[in-house]
Amino acid sequence: MEKNPYVPMPVNVDKIITEVTTKDIKTFRFSFVNKEDEERFSYLPGQFAELSIFGKGESPIGIASSPTDKGYVEFTVQKAGVVTSELHSLAEGTLMGIRGPLGNTWPLDYLEGKNVVVVGGGFAFTTLRSLTNYMLSEENRPRFGKITVVYGAREPGLLLYKDELALWEKRDDIDMYVTVDKGDKDWEGREGFVPAVCKEVAPSSENAVALICGPPIMIRFTLPEFFNLGFSKENIFTSLEMRMKCGIGKCGRCNVGSKYVCKDGPVFSLAELDELTPEY
Amino acid sequence: METRLIKKELLPGLIKGLADDTLVYAPVQEEDDVFFRVLEKDMEPLAEFGNTKNAPKNFFFPQAETMMRFMKKERGSELEGTPGDAPEAVLFGVRPCDARSFVLLDFVFNDPKYRDPYYMERREKTTIVSLACVHPPYSTCFCTSMGGHPFSPEGADVLLVDMGNDWLAECVTEKGEKLIEKLGDLPRADDEVLARKKDMAEQAASEITTKVPGKEIKPWLDENFDHPFWDTVHVGCLACGTCTYLCPTCHCFDITDETKDSEGRRVRSWDSCMYWLFTRETSGHNPRPSQKERWRQRFMHKFKYFVDNYDAIACVGCGRCVRYCPVNIDIRKIAQDIAKL
Repeated sequence: MEKNPYVPMPVNVDKIITEVTTKDIKTFRFSFVNKEDEERFSYLPGQFAELSIFGKGESPIGIASSPTDKGYVEFTVQKAGVVTSELHSLAEGTLMGIRGPLGNTWPLDYLEGKNVVVVGGGFAFTTLRSLTNYMLSEENRPRFGKITVVYGAREPGLLLYKDELALWEKRDDIDMYVTVDKGDKDWEGREGFVPAVCKEVAPSSENAVALICGPPIMIRFTLPEFFNLGFSKENIFTSLEMRMKCGIGKCGRCNVGSKYVCKDGPVFSLAELDELTPEY
Repeated sequence: METRLIKKELLPGLIKGLADDTLVYAPVQEEDDVFFRVLEKDMEPLAEFGNTKNAPKNFFFPQAETMMRFMKKERGSELEGTPGDAPEAVLFGVRPCDARSFVLLDFVFNDPKYRDPYYMERREKTTIVSLACVHPPYSTCFCTSMGGHPFSPEGADVLLVDMGNDWLAECVTEKGEKLIEKLGDLPRADDEVLARKKDMAEQAASEITTKVPGKEIKPWLDENFDHPFWDTVHVGCLACGTCTYLCPTCHCFDITDETKDSEGRRVRSWDSCMYWLFTRETSGHNPRPSQKERWRQRFMHKFKYFVDNYDAIACVGCGRCVRYCPVNIDIRKIAQDIAKL
């Protein structure tokens, strides 16, 4: 029997982590109620899923865990609308649903054998975190060249995944540059905007690909730095967000030019974005 | 192709006969308009009319439908079930333009990666009987410009042609053959009838004098997303959405949850790119902030994006949006104006 792509798979909310001092961004860890659903939910970094709460609706959210983390799947969600507000009020042990995985992935095959520069700003680090953990896993690390991560937030309390960042900093097979726009009295790390840090770090564009996610203002000032470093539009990727409902290219609302962000994206190279209409 | 003749006066009775054991949707006169309705015992199916006010897409893609039901339980709401199987049905009296719309909708809902189970269940169980337009009914008809034809069998299982004293029935698919078999022992059409039908088809097409550029304007659309022409198209548009609701090929939808006490359902309903909320994000950002962008989207989706994806224009030339737009925005004129740029 063919599976109905609109029916969510039941999941248990195993764990809820409040990520930021403003308390409006939380990471939700789910486990599948049915073992076969876990196998069906076979995903790669960059993909998303519809988080489904019956009675409230669905919300498309990027997958923040890595497929190398077995037994669970994680999403980091900002409290914003009807569904995400309900999600934020849930307790551990609640049953809800997820539908996916949906969309394309970070260009993993293309990244193989290349140096990878990951640039994230603020809350837009979730699927990049999935990718970084994926590349750092024991079985995958040899497939990729040098890994550089530039990750910034407005202030220290807004950095996501702080424990994990600290673990990555200790490794010698990844170059970490964590920065905040402005530190506080306890902050001993780097201060400065993401574009400025990228300029200072100056990753080589030789055999390298940059993956950049962040607020529009950060992207606007970061891109010129990468062009100056010699990165071509074919070697810079980002991930788009659009209002979505079905997630499978039928309901029409995430239509941008001839593409649907839900099924043809969300990951696009800048060269591909140039081909699209600027309606996102 | 199997071709049969049905005596003119017998057809309504045969269709009513089908309704004894099968669900039959047929055109029915209601006040000034014709609508598709479930054919009940006391109802007479129309075989001679212009076209129905609504496109028949709702039989496969209803204006609102339940996708699943859920129930509040101790640890959260859980799925109760999805709708059961659809009944076998006959959709009688579809015009060739509307029949063709099903072929276009199939591209979207029968996508091999994600088949839409709700649409496909009804689509596969329904036999479509179309009626050729011997005299295309409206001055707003332009199917011939959009790749269709008043005698096109595309999308139908049986095509009926009014030959004067008889209906000529052409079985287009196996489904159609089965239906015609069910109607009893009908005489085969001879070559004289088929030759006459060919002449009638040519005559019918020649009666559609409106020429609307279709794929000819695609190269312009490819290059001119930012052209000042787009500042003129939407002027006067009320964003009522009538064009998208009556359109046989518009397929955008919304998904919403409805609850009452501890029970609820997830509902799919038609939506429209003409509405500002369609693309408005929670943050307040709207990628299509004004009616200008929304009209451009509607036109581009039909005449460029759909062509890029499926090599077909998402318009069948039925003319409903032209006839019923309250401010007389005319998609034919937009295409013609673009061709002059």
